[in-house]
Amino acid sequence: MDERNSSILSAVEKYYQHYGLRARELRDEGHKVIAYLCSLVPVEIITAAGFIPLRMRGDVHEPITKADTQLETIACPFVRSCFDIALKGKYDYCEGLIIPHACDSMARTYSVWRYSLGLPYSHFINLPHTVRGPSMEFFKAELITFRKSFGRFAKKEISDDNLAEAIHLYNENRDKAKALYELRKSDPPLISGTEIAKILTVGMSLPVTESNELFDDVLVEFRQRKEAPSRKAPRIMVVGACVDNIDFISLIEDTRANVVVDSLCIGTRDYFPHADTGGNPIDAIAHRYLDKVNCPRTYREKKGETYEEDLEARFGDIGSLSKEFAVDGIILYIYKYCDPFGFEVASRRAYLDSLKIPVLYLEDEYSAGSIGRLRTRIQAFLEMIG
Amino acid sequence: MTEEQEKGKKKRRTATEAASKIGGMVKAAIGGTVRAREEGRPLAYTFICCCYDEIIRAMDIVPVWTENYAGICGAKRDAERFLERAESLSFSRSLCTYALCGIGFDQWREELGSMPPDAPWGGQARPDFMLSSGQILCDPRNKWYQALQQYMSDVPIYNVGLPWPVYEDDIEVADVEDYYIRYIVEELRGLVRFLEEQTANKMDWDRLRELVDLGERTWNLIWETYELRRAVPTPMGTGDAMNTMVPMVFMLGTQEGYDFYVELNKELKDKIARKEGVIPDEKYRLLWGGGLPSWFALTDFNYFNSKGAVFPVETTYRMIEPIYRLNIPETNDPIERLAWRWLRYWTYWYDKAKKRPGSEPDVERLIQYIEDYQIDGIVMHEAFSCRTWHLGLIWQLNQLKRIYKPIPVLVLGPDGKKKRGRRELPSLILESDIIDISSYSEVDTRNRIDAFIETLESIKEKRNLSPVIF
Repeated sequence: MDERNSSILSAVEKYYQHYGLRARELRDEGHKVIAYLCSLVPVEIITAAGFIPLRMRGDVHEPITKADTQLETIACPFVRSCFDIALKGKYDYCEGLIIPHACDSMARTYSVWRYSLGLPYSHFINLPHTVRGPSMEFFKAELITFRKSFGRFAKKEISDDNLAEAIHLYNENRDKAKALYELRKSDPPLISGTEIAKILTVGMSLPVTESNELFDDVLVEFRQRKEAPSRKAPRIMVVGACVDNIDFISLIEDTRANVVVDSLCIGTRDYFPHADTGGNPIDAIAHRYLDKVNCPRTYREKKGETYEEDLEARFGDIGSLSKEFAVDGIILYIYKYCDPFGFEVASRRAYLDSLKIPVLYLEDEYSAGSIGRLRTRIQAFLEMIG
Repeated sequence: MTEEQEKGKKKRRTATEAASKIGGMVKAAIGGTVRAREEGRPLAYTFICCCYDEIIRAMDIVPVWTENYAGICGAKRDAERFLERAESLSFSRSLCTYALCGIGFDQWREELGSMPPDAPWGGQARPDFMLSSGQILCDPRNKWYQALQQYMSDVPIYNVGLPWPVYEDDIEVADVEDYYIRYIVEELRGLVRFLEEQTANKMDWDRLRELVDLGERTWNLIWETYELRRAVPTPMGTGDAMNTMVPMVFMLGTQEGYDFYVELNKELKDKIARKEGVIPDEKYRLLWGGGLPSWFALTDFNYFNSKGAVFPVETTYRMIEPIYRLNIPETNDPIERLAWRWLRYWTYWYDKAKKRPGSEPDVERLIQYIEDYQIDGIVMHEAFSCRTWHLGLIWQLNQLKRIYKPIPVLVLGPDGKKKRGRRELPSLILESDIIDISSYSEVDTRNRIDAFIETLESIKEKRNLSPVIF
């Protein structure tokens, strides 16, 4: 590894360990940062207004304390963790917060966030639940409302050209992320699951131009690798919601397996779908976030004559990825109190069983302590795979 | 639960005759769905407070209120076997227990090809189609029926989008309501088309118009009737309201539902004339400020009564506002009227909230009820399995404490001298579930109620002498 590349991985490590450090530096230089929750916030609009979008992370190592004085413990543990560290001042350099209508844990706590953090700007983006024509028209109107509201706050008219440029930059970012995934196809993979989890997480804390540069540099670094970071081992896919820390992925890899692909929010769910180019940018953004981002909170009407065809329509992306990345086993990793994913566990298992791939279902609570307790079950699963 | 066990279980004492009739009405309605299935009438699984009650009624579709059936299983303390079955199918026990109970029951029925053994009140009939709803709240309404298709994949779903604008500082409802209404109207028209396809019947638009009229009159009547509970002593408490909500949310758009409130109205007026309260000696007037009740522990309301406390008002299941205050635009289109009623209901408190810094629609509603109903304290219930109605309760109380302090007190100032001030209302949050009895401890619950009553007593005693000193 030459000096330059070594410094790139050091930068990834630094920005992962000190999440938001770069955004804070840029804030000190006069830039403005907007925090957001979830993959369903159209970051293109924030960037088009000249702001830096920063995806909020929780912290599995930080016990939830302050949040419990404001928020019920029955909320999604990931949302509680994000709220807790926000209350503790970790995102105090942000000018505002955007929350989408992703799930009850976000929608029903929007007011709690808004008042408790006292940020200069906040906005709730109301995504509809279905993907029919009227839903799409409604969502476009919601995006226009957000565009106007945020433009007023930013004191900038967000033009179609601004949006088209932002779409272009994010599509580039997604291409580069996808190129990183290509390096996971070899056996053993040239990039570990832990490494890519760090890189993708860090990517969501940087301005998109810097994220693109970082991804370029790490691609150069990993493409030059002569040796894979691990030995041949069972190839695992992780399926779930927002895994924004390396702890769970590291646990699997420490248990002698390689995590080679995922269906996670900070992963293929968010990084793979592009926004269309060349047409109306609001249409393209609406289509990407409502239709292309495959999150269970969005209801998709039954397709096909049989239930199996419907499962294929809903979860076919998982099947395709599992084949493409030659997966030996799938871990379905769901947070407690997550209604959108929780009500799909049985159907996801039915679909995954149909692929004839061994499946391990784990329910967790978004804390380092609870993750550690999963080791035995993961070991047993990997032994079963052989 | 067996018939013998059922007979052995003591019926909860209600204050009103009207509330005592509800059990029989619900039982008859559930039995009616089973009969309707046998007679080949179209049955729809659906959710209460769904916006489109009158559409279902106008098309002679028999609604099967799935949350209601789960609630019945809970109230009869017979939900556990269905919850366990859902858990065995990979559904986490942390999810909505209404949905888990329903899924467990339905999967069992589908597996057997008949009702599960000793199904409460004859069981829940198999539907011809299912009506999900995508609102601003309640993920299970969006996912429950989709999960059920794993066990009855031949039953189609129509998912109705029913959003409303969230309360924001920089956005007025008037700025966005056009496209919200346009969307809701499109979704409801889509629902009509779906129902026409499923039933092979055409919508009778004149009939729908009449039923929407009836529904609106029912809303006004309920509001007027519930407002009678402002009387001291109050003639009806929240325990009864958890029964009398049935015609409001299960029978809207029916003459039977309307007539129920005519009777209740008369009964309450008679009680007020006789100065007959829920209890003879009303000491504390409490607001049930949020949360669905534990259906298996409704006797807790009687326990409150035994301590001299009554609930003249609640936010839970008071899913109406007077129509004449909603400023619904003139229209002859019943679908548009339904859409406007829906949107205006959910945004009803927004204007008031904007006028009080730091307020919120939900908090504003609490304040209004506290003042209208002369409230001494607030009780809420946090049901662990339901994020929809139970997230934000702590925050509402915190916010209320910050902006609203109705109790006069003397406080010690920095100079050591007493000065006049005000303090917030005392509050209590109970914790359990809607139907999962394993989350409930009668001893703990009643200890907490006792402690709360002591707080109320202490405030009241001191208030009678002089302002409370803190």
